[in-house]
Amino acid sequence: MKGKSLLSVLLLFSIGFFLRADLKKEDIKVFKLDNGLKILLLEDHDIPNIAYYTFFRVGSRNERNGITGVSHFIEHMMFNGTEKVGPGELDRKMEFLGGANNAYTSKEMTAYTDWFPTPVLEEIVKIEADRMQGATFDPQVLESERNVIAEERRVSTDNNNDSLLDEQVVASAITAHPYHWDVIGWMSDILNWKRDDIMNYYNTYYAPNNAVLVVVGDFNTEEMMKLVREYYSPIKPGTPPPPVTTTEPEQLGAKRVEIRKEAQAPSFLMVYHAPKFADPDYFSMSILETVLLGGESSRLYKRLVRGEQLALEVGGGMDQNIDPYLFYFRIQPGVDSDLDKIEKVITEELEKVKKEGITDKELQKAVNNVKSNFYNTLQTIAGKANLIGNAELLAGDYSAMFTLVDSYQKVTAKMVQDAANKYFTDKNKTVGKLIPEGGAK
Amino acid sequence: MKNTGYILSLMFLLASLTLSAGGGIKLPEPDKITFDNGMTVFLLEDHELPIVNFNLLLPGAGTAFEDRQYEGLSDLITYMLLKGTKTMSADQISEELDFMGATLDGNVTEEYALFRGYCLSEHLDKLIGIAADSLINPAFKEDEFKQEIPRRIDRIATIKDSPFQAAQLYFQKAYFGDHPMGNLAVGNEESFKRMSIDIIKTHYKKYYRPDTSILAIVGNFDSKKLIKLLKNTLGKWEKPASPAPKLELPPLPKIEGKKFVVIDKPDATQTYFVMGAPGFRNGDPVLPSYRVANTLFGGRFTSWMSTELRIKRGLTYNTRSSYSMWKNGGVVSAASYTQNKNIALMLDITFDLLKKAHNEGFVDTEVESARNYIMGQFPPTLERAASKTRAYVELSFYNLGFDYYNKVLSAIEKVTKTQADEAAKNFLPLDNYILVLVGKLEQIKPLIGKFGTFIERKIADPGF
Repeated sequence: MKGKSLLSVLLLFSIGFFLRADLKKEDIKVFKLDNGLKILLLEDHDIPNIAYYTFFRVGSRNERNGITGVSHFIEHMMFNGTEKVGPGELDRKMEFLGGANNAYTSKEMTAYTDWFPTPVLEEIVKIEADRMQGATFDPQVLESERNVIAEERRVSTDNNNDSLLDEQVVASAITAHPYHWDVIGWMSDILNWKRDDIMNYYNTYYAPNNAVLVVVGDFNTEEMMKLVREYYSPIKPGTPPPPVTTTEPEQLGAKRVEIRKEAQAPSFLMVYHAPKFADPDYFSMSILETVLLGGESSRLYKRLVRGEQLALEVGGGMDQNIDPYLFYFRIQPGVDSDLDKIEKVITEELEKVKKEGITDKELQKAVNNVKSNFYNTLQTIAGKANLIGNAELLAGDYSAMFTLVDSYQKVTAKMVQDAANKYFTDKNKTVGKLIPEGGAK
Repeated sequence: MKNTGYILSLMFLLASLTLSAGGGIKLPEPDKITFDNGMTVFLLEDHELPIVNFNLLLPGAGTAFEDRQYEGLSDLITYMLLKGTKTMSADQISEELDFMGATLDGNVTEEYALFRGYCLSEHLDKLIGIAADSLINPAFKEDEFKQEIPRRIDRIATIKDSPFQAAQLYFQKAYFGDHPMGNLAVGNEESFKRMSIDIIKTHYKKYYRPDTSILAIVGNFDSKKLIKLLKNTLGKWEKPASPAPKLELPPLPKIEGKKFVVIDKPDATQTYFVMGAPGFRNGDPVLPSYRVANTLFGGRFTSWMSTELRIKRGLTYNTRSSYSMWKNGGVVSAASYTQNKNIALMLDITFDLLKKAHNEGFVDTEVESARNYIMGQFPPTLERAASKTRAYVELSFYNLGFDYYNKVLSAIEKVTKTQADEAAKNFLPLDNYILVLVGKLEQIKPLIGKFGTFIERKIADPGF
């Protein structure tokens, strides 16, 4: 899975801002086991179901050359057997119990997501506690799953022009930091991972002290903790994983990427180095995301789609990243659009922000969107579980989400303008174009 | 991600929303009001969050009631509705909506259009105002129309760069042929060139009318105040003097024998398949049994298709079987993809599974598992306000009653192996179906010849 959507980015910021009676900090109960496992519980009795989310602090940012994509591969293998449960049995059991599951891997984390009716809670706790350290990586199953991942890469990257361009542009913009590669990993690594490397990686990152359990739904907190203690306490803590120490060197000039392949339509992507989530500038830049790319009233939609009619869609913005990543301008050009003109229009609009700033109305618009998206997410127990877990892992402490409001409210039009001047510089950008050629067209 | 197969397909989403039921959870009974202009309105107050969602269903404003030469017209109309009214420009509308962080959009199915809105409750008056103005007083401006046509034509090219999505559209076309259910919302390169503002206005006049429309609103509002607001906005929409058009479609095509189509996408490293056969209408009593059968065949992660194609052999990342239901019939379908070189193997296995469904059927524990799974996963499908409003307007449109989900669920609880086997035999095809492939023809041609004769087309050929 790719990085998180713009939606979740906005949501996280809004939490402290708009929480009223709906969800208070005190409603989320916090526990920690001796082995380091942190547990965040939120009772919600609207439906007789539970969302059970396990987050591990491991993603593609923890990988190295040769094992790129391995975080995501382990995510798949976590469903393929432990010492106690045979390959495929976990899914068969969970579905028999009326439950369903999925999982996702990002640059920063790996999350395992279960949804099930309350009466089967204990069975799910057992399953999740067992696979926290018990995955066996059966060699035969591993080979089969390797092919599944290769097919996933083929469908999501190799046969998807936008993703193909995305991968190349990012690899060009980011040269040293592990953000250089995509979560899916390079095909040659997918085809060559060794079981020992995978096991080492798993043993390093899959430990209770590197995980957070978030449960939202129809349960009783005391009973839940009784189960959690019973099944998770015996798990031994691991050695804290090594920190990611590589930092991306400053970019010294604009970079350009060109892909030429058979296609019916061109693709366009332009990125700038952007602040990490913990950087105070992040707030200003996230407001620019709405101003420039949010909806049909955004500055770039108005210019590129409606005004000059060079594009069919505009999108992009930032993810919440632990280390500095990128601000995206992802444009779907028209079939015969001049891609250089698209670049020129974006540059003009950025210069305008740098010179003149943004309006108070645009500031307010960004805030309203945050609020609206936030409540949209709070409608489901799954939405709440995901939100709490992401806040905990990306902001460092889930309770930080209740103080983010101050940082957000402090953003002024002047701060946004300053941030634009700091990050949207020519030296900081990488421009990517996919140009259709040959073939049937 | 472990799996995206169950969220990729719109067809599947629609099916799962329309048919889930149970788990002790019920769709709440809303208040019903009928306005003087004939519009049916359902209201449900829910004060947990400060938000409101609405869905307005317009019967006949979907693709199946377009003239084939203007394929894509109904979807274009939902776009044009928000591009200016007698008093607001397109830019004013988008400014207002975006400023509130609200959404307002239209989309179409085969049988109807849905006009959908979401906002913070503090903005409800404004959103209803814009929605009503857009529906009642659209300006249908020539310059907006002229701008949009080339974009729609270009968008078809971008869909063809996404082979999994394109395969679904090629399938719909191959399956329905000249039948109006084969009209695609995305239109085609030629149909858009034939359209004009007059054609838009005529079609709008015929199908956008209050007396057949069904509106549902769920969220944080005061019913009394909201009814007053609605009466002053959508309630003022004038009922036309002409009688409402009859929404009758010819019987769905009978599929006799096998039809194979292959679309050559020379740069594809995978081949994508979609196959389908006649299913059943919405409201058909076979639904509970078939839902169990479909869950086991290809409707969840441990289904037969997923087990044989993905889990055991690593041939693919996604498999899926699903079904679509309309007023006068339905389609059952299956889809997946794999490397070009493995497509024949994938199809062989899929055909073997179809034979297994006919010859062996399911085992009791599988049926029990499917029943549990459907029941356990039902409650979250009604959590969102949007799920509820959609349920209200669709159940009302199909005349199924608001207790329908729970009726279906009660029936699912009792589905036996014999019933599930029977449903599978009746609908999972052996000899009569349509199969569409999108892949690199040069590589797959020698592999697929054994299945029969394929009609060959190129991805760059116009249309689908």
